[in-house]
Amino acid sequence: METTIQMLAAFLFALGLLTVIVRRNTIIILMGIEMMLNAANLSLVGFSHYLAQINGQVQVFFIITIAAAESAIGLSILVNLYRNFTSIKTDNAVTLKG
Amino acid sequence: MDNLDFINSVVTVFGIFAAICGLVLLFAKEPLSCALGLLGVLIFTAGIYAIIGEHFIATIQLVVYAGAIMVLFIFSIMLFNVKHDRESFNWKSPLFLFTSVVTAAVFVLLGRTILQYFDTPVIESQKGIFTREMVTDLGGNSQVLAHSLFTQHFVSFEAISLALLIALVGAVVLAKRKLN
Repeated sequence: METTIQMLAAFLFALGLLTVIVRRNTIIILMGIEMMLNAANLSLVGFSHYLAQINGQVQVFFIITIAAAESAIGLSILVNLYRNFTSIKTDNAVTLKG
Repeated sequence: MDNLDFINSVVTVFGIFAAICGLVLLFAKEPLSCALGLLGVLIFTAGIYAIIGEHFIATIQLVVYAGAIMVLFIFSIMLFNVKHDRESFNWKSPLFLFTSVVTAAVFVLLGRTILQYFDTPVIESQKGIFTREMVTDLGGNSQVLAHSLFTQHFVSFEAISLALLIALVGAVVLAKRKLN
């Protein structure tokens, strides 16, 4: 069971990383970041359960709070991006491109 | 022992479903399908937390992640009307093949480390006191976690609530239209 949880966490982290790298839609990139945070949470809870400690779960509580703050800030940045480029795809935000 | 077998099989089934939902998030074309994939990942992860006995974290996961954050995502999909710019990504391009090979290498290295070093004696000697029976005797997972949160970690708790307040104000300021 413990190795199943850790392998699942590694798999979800790899999927989130691939989503962040290859997708071009900014909302989906944010979703990939959330999935990577979720995989880290799963790994922490699995180790906390395996080692019969409570500190990992306290850490997960804090990470979930920070993830909520991060997604609120990220989506309000998206509102500004949409206002400036009338699109949220990263292909269109090329002002800094040389 | 029968109970442990049941927990093992439920964790495996939920894990397979969560992995399938993660693949949906990666490969779906519509942003709403991606949001449903992420929702499936979060709900099945909460199911795994609940079945191994971490009830408080499972509830927090359902309420904050699968509730609040997913509503925020679906609301912004609706707000931006992203149907117009659908993904036109070429799944056979060299970029995708290269990044998927790199990510697969990351996954294989992580998995190899986990499987190789999991049951070493060093980890066995680090075990704490909060076993399943001990947690039940102390009044359940939520009570143990709350006691730890409000005694040992109370400074972090206050700091995180301040950070959440600052993030709230920052999100409002960032999204507000400029006044002329």
